[in-house]
Amino acid sequence: MKINVTKTWCKKMAGLEAFAEVGAGLLAIDPILNDGEPVSGKPEHFGDETRFALQRFVGLSRRSMNLSVEKLAERADIDLSELITLETDVHHLPEPRTLYQLAQVFNVSQSKLMELSGLTQPKDVHYLEEAVRYAARSESIAKLTAEEQAALDGLISVLSEK
Amino acid sequence: MSRDEGMEVSSVFLLDNQSGSMVDAELWDAITEKNLADWEADWIPQVFDMMKALKQKGVERSLWPQSRHWHWSDKVRAVEERLSNQCFSIVCDDVTQAMMITDLTRRAQLEGQKNNHLVYIDFLETAPWNRAGLIGQPSKYSGAGSILIRAAIELSKLEGFCGRIGLHSLPQSNDFYAKAGMIDLGVDVNYQNLRYFEMTPEQADEFVIKGES
Repeated sequence: MKINVTKTWCKKMAGLEAFAEVGAGLLAIDPILNDGEPVSGKPEHFGDETRFALQRFVGLSRRSMNLSVEKLAERADIDLSELITLETDVHHLPEPRTLYQLAQVFNVSQSKLMELSGLTQPKDVHYLEEAVRYAARSESIAKLTAEEQAALDGLISVLSEK
Repeated sequence: MSRDEGMEVSSVFLLDNQSGSMVDAELWDAITEKNLADWEADWIPQVFDMMKALKQKGVERSLWPQSRHWHWSDKVRAVEERLSNQCFSIVCDDVTQAMMITDLTRRAQLEGQKNNHLVYIDFLETAPWNRAGLIGQPSKYSGAGSILIRAAIELSKLEGFCGRIGLHSLPQSNDFYAKAGMIDLGVDVNYQNLRYFEMTPEQADEFVIKGES
């Protein structure tokens, strides 16, 4: 069986597909890794505090860029519902891809966002405590106050690669 | 490229995410020994490395993509056993980039097209380097998934099934199928809780048109 698809069609669909993973069926399920001890249990730091810092960081960064939730979801190419949940539900465990996309938009370290979310274990818990402290200083209002801006600047400084 | 005799080859294109350009690729209406060899020699080691990286990063095992009990040997054997079904593969740079196995014996479940024949996608997988979500890095090529869905639609039309297709989605692929216009019929407890999606003839036409507009 042959199919006729144009380069234009492939280009358009590849753009829409973007970095989505496409798989189906039980056979596509990957095996588990059997060498060594499995990673089990939640990391020590895993808790709502760091997730709260992540939540506040995303919300403050979005507002400082004058983006609606919808616009940010569009720019980061993530699901609107995922972003809303991330900003509103402190118990929500985000997808690694979501954090990767957000890290690109906000120009901060993906691995640190992963650690804040609890997806990975932190190598250095110090910055997590700092992030939580900055987040706790912020209040959720429409425009960023000077205090919120300072909190956001602090969050960016501890979440950047440098 | 090592093609089987009698195999049909269609010219397709993938997006090279590094250069941003479209590159030539081939859609084969078969999964050959070459594809299986690529899988064992190139895919499996890379998935293995990715899993090790996830483990080293401290990602909880329960959060690993599709982490389930499975053995490679069983998986390869199972694919070989299904080669009697209509298969497809995409090859680019002389390496297999994606594979799909379809089953033409299934019937639709969606109200409105219930019990009508459809093309059921029994297996669809892209090469690990084309799976960005696995390690949070851009994939090498994009577009293979859409081309295989298109192939399933065209097969469905050829068989007189009017473009109807169905599949059980991997958890990280649910969004893709929903955006592709497929209808989510919910979790199937008989398929390790994978979600079952179906596409109607109208949605199939829309999927094709979407790439042309």
